[in-house]
Amino acid sequence: MIRDGFRDALQLLWHLDGPVIDAAARSLWVSVLAVFAASFTGIAIGLLFGRKAFPGQQILIVLFRAGMSVPTVLIGLLCFGVFSRRGVLADLELLYTTWAIVIGEFFLALPIIATLTHGAIVRLDRRISETAMTLGAGPVQRTITYLREARLAIMLAILTAFSRCFTELGIAMMVGGNIPGRTQTLTTATAQETSRGDFSRGMAMSLILLLIAMTVTVVISLLNRRREEGAS
Amino acid sequence: MTNPQTVPAHTRLPDQSRIVDVKNLTVQKMGQVICNVSALTVAKGERIGVTGSNGSGKTTLLRVLAGLEKDFTGVCEIATAPAERVFVHQSPFLFSGTVLDNVEYGLRARSLSKSDRKEQAAVWLKRLGLCNLANRSTRSLSGGEGRRTAIARACVLQPRLLLLDEPLADLDPAGIECVQQSLNALPNTTILLSSPTPLPDGFVDRTITPGPSSSHEQLRN
Repeated sequence: MIRDGFRDALQLLWHLDGPVIDAAARSLWVSVLAVFAASFTGIAIGLLFGRKAFPGQQILIVLFRAGMSVPTVLIGLLCFGVFSRRGVLADLELLYTTWAIVIGEFFLALPIIATLTHGAIVRLDRRISETAMTLGAGPVQRTITYLREARLAIMLAILTAFSRCFTELGIAMMVGGNIPGRTQTLTTATAQETSRGDFSRGMAMSLILLLIAMTVTVVISLLNRRREEGAS
Repeated sequence: MTNPQTVPAHTRLPDQSRIVDVKNLTVQKMGQVICNVSALTVAKGERIGVTGSNGSGKTTLLRVLAGLEKDFTGVCEIATAPAERVFVHQSPFLFSGTVLDNVEYGLRARSLSKSDRKEQAAVWLKRLGLCNLANRSTRSLSGGEGRRTAIARACVLQPRLLLLDEPLADLDPAGIECVQQSLNALPNTTILLSSPTPLPDGFVDRTITPGPSSSHEQLRN
């Protein structure tokens, strides 16, 4: 069954099967947009946690760390509560749209990027800030310097967040509604096709997921190796 | 090497000619005194060697003067703004990028135009024998090349107070000569440089050794 499914899946991919490509493209742009927005916010939060001391900082750091392991269905559930008819943002009519998935995935990616960026910034060599300061760098130049010196670790954080968003199911299912041609993503489509008995289409979608996830993993491994080489 | 002549540790200088005035400076870490200087006065334009064995407090004294070490007791008056003081670490950190990027770093902070930055950086790269390494990545430099890059990055700013922590470590005689020539090109800069070993002749005006009595001050030349 798996071998037949695999063969049929390759045929669907070879012929650029419409629904498969549609779901793949949607998954990709939704994840890219969510991670793009989360990168700006998350890197800023990570920098703030890493470079400034303020009351309540430790509590926030712990909360963001905990946020990394929140199940996607819980984020989906909370977003559903906010966007549903009785929710506080019901007027925006975002429920069962791709924008709702983008927002949900933003909250999935945010703690990952903020926490990993914070870790990268606090692990920076103390001489970096001292050298920048003694050479007269202002706050902006210093911040750019920290980001440049931690860029591999920050890139890792972004890719890790992307990997998690691209392969998540809970948010897309709960606030996207799995509407074919509108909000269906690779993961929700895979679940639907498999439950319908169309194993080969489910397999085709899983193959795309696997391919992209593996590509991201390879890039993460390469970056990690470069970072370790740089540190040694 | 000339015989060092012991002089009073706290040289009396008119206030306006002093750039550093330290009295009863003590730095403690985890209950241990790691630096103790009873009195030190440095005149503008003076070049002073800070010598002493490992752990005698040379680095800590320079860090206090640079404003990087704020947890101390006693008096430490520096007659120059923090932006006019540059400290070079014992093992300097070079930012990722090229040698030229690093030498231009402080000039960029001072909002110099690109052409001015290039011009000034070229002068100091030449002085420190780094001309043909300008576009080399800092990750591929040897210890001595990295140290000269860090010294060029500091000297290009022509600060009023330059603090060099063991600047001659890793350097061959040619490198030491380059550094000496470069420091000679900064007549208006007060320089304190530390070294665990005696400095070459003519390198400094006098040497001091951090310690409770600060009585080991020696005058050279």
